[in-house]
Amino acid sequence: MCQDCQEKAKEREAMLRRAEAIIERIGKTRDKIIPLLQALQSEFSYLPSDVLERVYDLTEIDRAQMMSVATFYSQFRLVPYGKHVIKVCNGTACHVKGADNVYDAFRRELSMEGDSITTADGLYSIENVGCLGCCALAPAVQIDEKIYGHVQPGRVTEVLEEFEKAQAAQEQSAKEEETTPPLGEVRLGMENCCQASGTAEIFAEVERCKKDLDLNVSIKPVSCIGACNQVPMIDVALPDGQIFRYPNVKVEDVQEILLNHFNAGSPLKRFRNKLFRSLDHFHNDTVWESDVWKEPVERTRTINNFLTSQKRVSTEGYGHMAPLDLDEYISNGGIEALKKVLSEKSPAKIVEDILASGLRGRGGGGFPSGRKWAMVASQSNPTKYIICNGDEGDPGAFMDRILLESYPMRVIEGMIIAAYAVGASEGIFYIRAEYPQAVIRTRKALQMYRDAGYLGKDILGSGFDFEIRVFEGAGAFVCGEETALINSIEGKRGFPNLRPPYPAVHGLNGCPTLINNVETLSQVPYIIRNTSSTYSAIGTDSSKGTKVFALVGKVNHGGLIEVPMGTTLNQIIEDIGGGVEGGEKLKAVQTGGPSGGCIPASMCDTPVDYEALKGLGAIMGSGGLVVLGESSCMVDVARYFTTFTSGESCGKCTFCRVGIRRMLDILDRICTGKGKMEDLDNLEYLAKSISKSALCGLGKTAPNPVLSTLRYFREEYIEHIGGVCRTGTCKDMVVYQVNDECVGCTKCSKACPADAIAYTPYEKHYIDPDKCTKCGLCIDECSYDAIKKVPLKEAEKKSETQPTSVA
Amino acid sequence: MKIFIDGNEIEVKDGETVLEACRRTGTPIPSMCFAPGKEHKPSCMVCMVRNEATGQMMPSCSTYPTDGMRIDTRSDEVLQTRRLAVELLLSDHRADCEAPCTIACPKKLDIAKMLYHYDEGDYPKAKAYVASVFALPQIGCDDCKAPCEKVCRRGTVDANVPIREIVKKLAAMEDIPAQGDPSLLSHIDRTRFSSRLGAFSPQEKIRLKETVTTPSTCLHCACLSKEECTLRDVATSLAIKSPRFGVNSLQPFKAEKKITGKLVFEPSKCIRCGLCVYNTVDGFTFKGRGFGMQVILPEESYSHVSEEVASLCPTGALSLGH
Repeated sequence: MCQDCQEKAKEREAMLRRAEAIIERIGKTRDKIIPLLQALQSEFSYLPSDVLERVYDLTEIDRAQMMSVATFYSQFRLVPYGKHVIKVCNGTACHVKGADNVYDAFRRELSMEGDSITTADGLYSIENVGCLGCCALAPAVQIDEKIYGHVQPGRVTEVLEEFEKAQAAQEQSAKEEETTPPLGEVRLGMENCCQASGTAEIFAEVERCKKDLDLNVSIKPVSCIGACNQVPMIDVALPDGQIFRYPNVKVEDVQEILLNHFNAGSPLKRFRNKLFRSLDHFHNDTVWESDVWKEPVERTRTINNFLTSQKRVSTEGYGHMAPLDLDEYISNGGIEALKKVLSEKSPAKIVEDILASGLRGRGGGGFPSGRKWAMVASQSNPTKYIICNGDEGDPGAFMDRILLESYPMRVIEGMIIAAYAVGASEGIFYIRAEYPQAVIRTRKALQMYRDAGYLGKDILGSGFDFEIRVFEGAGAFVCGEETALINSIEGKRGFPNLRPPYPAVHGLNGCPTLINNVETLSQVPYIIRNTSSTYSAIGTDSSKGTKVFALVGKVNHGGLIEVPMGTTLNQIIEDIGGGVEGGEKLKAVQTGGPSGGCIPASMCDTPVDYEALKGLGAIMGSGGLVVLGESSCMVDVARYFTTFTSGESCGKCTFCRVGIRRMLDILDRICTGKGKMEDLDNLEYLAKSISKSALCGLGKTAPNPVLSTLRYFREEYIEHIGGVCRTGTCKDMVVYQVNDECVGCTKCSKACPADAIAYTPYEKHYIDPDKCTKCGLCIDECSYDAIKKVPLKEAEKKSETQPTSVA
Repeated sequence: MKIFIDGNEIEVKDGETVLEACRRTGTPIPSMCFAPGKEHKPSCMVCMVRNEATGQMMPSCSTYPTDGMRIDTRSDEVLQTRRLAVELLLSDHRADCEAPCTIACPKKLDIAKMLYHYDEGDYPKAKAYVASVFALPQIGCDDCKAPCEKVCRRGTVDANVPIREIVKKLAAMEDIPAQGDPSLLSHIDRTRFSSRLGAFSPQEKIRLKETVTTPSTCLHCACLSKEECTLRDVATSLAIKSPRFGVNSLQPFKAEKKITGKLVFEPSKCIRCGLCVYNTVDGFTFKGRGFGMQVILPEESYSHVSEEVASLCPTGALSLGH
């Protein structure tokens, strides 16, 4: 054997040894397949076939199960990827803000050709992902673990440079322990969205200032405040309880903010700081422009508006409680409810309380939670499970992520109460693998519960035993459907089952199983602590309590909000969201993601309520609210969601697998100007039949975006069939043209990534339609508003009458 | 327990599904993904019935009756739903039931079978088909305008199969005696539904040109299971002529594989019902999801399946050859 071959054989052996150790650690039964593949992939970055062969040899898992599972979940890769993976978010909010162009821009920047998704040097791979859950910062992109927000196509180069710089200088400074009580606290949100906007850099800067300037302050990463579009945000909390809030902080502001509130420990440093600070001001006038010097009212007005119209139940303690501080949680009323039920209430009484509170499932359907609990409680099977459904796959929604990242303590408390009420002995958190932060925090919070005796054997001396584990989803939207979720935990493809039997009767491993959404469980401690009548006083007749929404899309102040049921959509958009972005007119609000519908602006005085939304052809869903302005194409929105569900359909039943695809065929035709009038009837017929006949909830609700847009925006469909997309969103129906406003400044020519605009200074530019990829960069660059998207039809007509002068 | 099927009261046996109860008591319900006594999961949605109380449509093969349940199996709504399910399956079903050449032949020569035997090198059998139509050595092809060659699928790839030449060549094989047999005439029942393959994509044409190199160049488009195909029967019974929403599939035509013995697997005809998946151990399996979901059999698992599995397949995707 040659040297090279020997090396390779040795490497392969080492790889197999590592794989064997992982198999040993995770387990060898068939239900372990998903955690096993996740562990193997995180070790080898993909699933090498040699390793899989070893899995067949050593475990119960066979080739048929492996193929079926590994190809079902989008997380798993059977081919090696590049060293770094770029994930371009294609969630709803990102889509309406041009995610497709961002994807293309990365491919161009990295010279990826044809179908290849990996660069020739193997450094980068690129993929579209469902939703990163950073919708308020759309378009968002994740490179490895780092998330970048507001990535317009023109920023792609910059983002890659930034990433490479950060890679080169990856260093961690050790934290220094303080001995004297701190002078105050600097609080920063450290959720995904905050990180995407650069909070990590701010955090590092705060740490640096603290050290260099010798400031005795404590730095505390806190839960999400929800004002996701105003981040990075710093709160400075003084011991006297005063809080100063600084939104949109830049790295260079940090020192100024800190020195504004705190003094250095030693007199010498104090003097030095003062001196340098005045010198800085003298030399550098940018400081005078900084937000820091604005009046507090002016500085935080928008945020305070954003926050005051809300009502906190699930997100109680926002912005001041640390996600992973059990003591702080307890001092704010946490665990009270758990203690109350274990010492004072019988399980039956708790179910009664939940029934009386009127709480309904927050995952979408709105089934009364109390009835579900009662159904599970009435089962005689000694083994029962409870599952917290955190498989939030809706593109454009991130409520569950924030609740788990910021308020894991509350969700866990709700889950233990629920388990006690229905008699479950084991609980499972099912969390999307796309939410690593949520997984980590939930695990840590669970450990804290265990250490404190709130979880495990004989909880608080009540004799009640209960344990919770975390199961990471592997990337399949359909697993939000409860029977598919159960199949997935059992190590199968996420195929839904026909219901009945319901999981409450025949669930995980055939045992009665209570499945509640994250938000539902997070409302439970409030109900128990404040009585069910206090809770049911909030909301409308049929919908009680509060609802958490991810307010995203074309809205000025997007973010995570919590409002009482019954608040109208207009109140949400205007009072909390600050109106439509860019002064556009509101066109519609999309609720409920791929299962929901578009509510036209004229009906946005509708209160948020399960029945009211359903009546409009939308659904409450898990709580994504995507605001659409006049520049959004409604046919494109319908096509976007149909593309999504077509790809996420599990493939089991005919109506969903083939039917949705046929709907998509028709929408594709309409969006490329090839539609016919009878297509509309066919589309409607298909949509209605699929809603009626598909096997599971995903299929039954998948036509909603099409049905609701056909209902309220039919004229736009007809326009498309006539060859016009009034917003210019449907690329195949427009051409980019330069009008007479052009002064020949060449900015567009420089910006064009496809060389479609010749460099002709002081002459009117010309866009070569054959080269133009319609990415929109030239329009963004042009200062004279001289580039327009012209309907293809009009352009053709024009060129017939007056041939274009420039060739 | 009693339930009502289209208003008629029937007694349901323990553990029986709505489909089984209906069939046992004489109400026919079509189904594709269900086989008596076999593991199955509802997927084809061809057996839909309506719960009269709730108006809900449900697959009868997996619905267990509750006392007093009222089931509607024959209203327009039910029939339209079943029809759409079949049409959708057909829109993803790339197959010719009958070979176009055989349909076209005015003399009822079973060209498809003749060419099969010809390509196998079994000239006596091939010649027998010719002899059944023509009083050899006379043949009727000379003055025929040859509609068979005009509709030949191979013609859309490169050049049509030279059918008339082959007929002449067989007729001229004097050393092979040939006996006419009226049962060898093609008998195409035009009242039955007939699936059409549709056009090939440019890539597919290149692939077919390179991979299909039979002596006659025939693609052998006729389906091996055309006589006993549940999909065809169901489409016929619902009076479907052609799928309303066109045929558009990701499945490649003629990617068939010989599995074991006479068992042949032709994925383009598969309707993903899963019967072969659920009833083999470490054999057939699903791959991918959504519209692109396929049923596959990894080569390593060929030995895990037997010929019997062909009897489960409701289409010609799994068959036992000629």
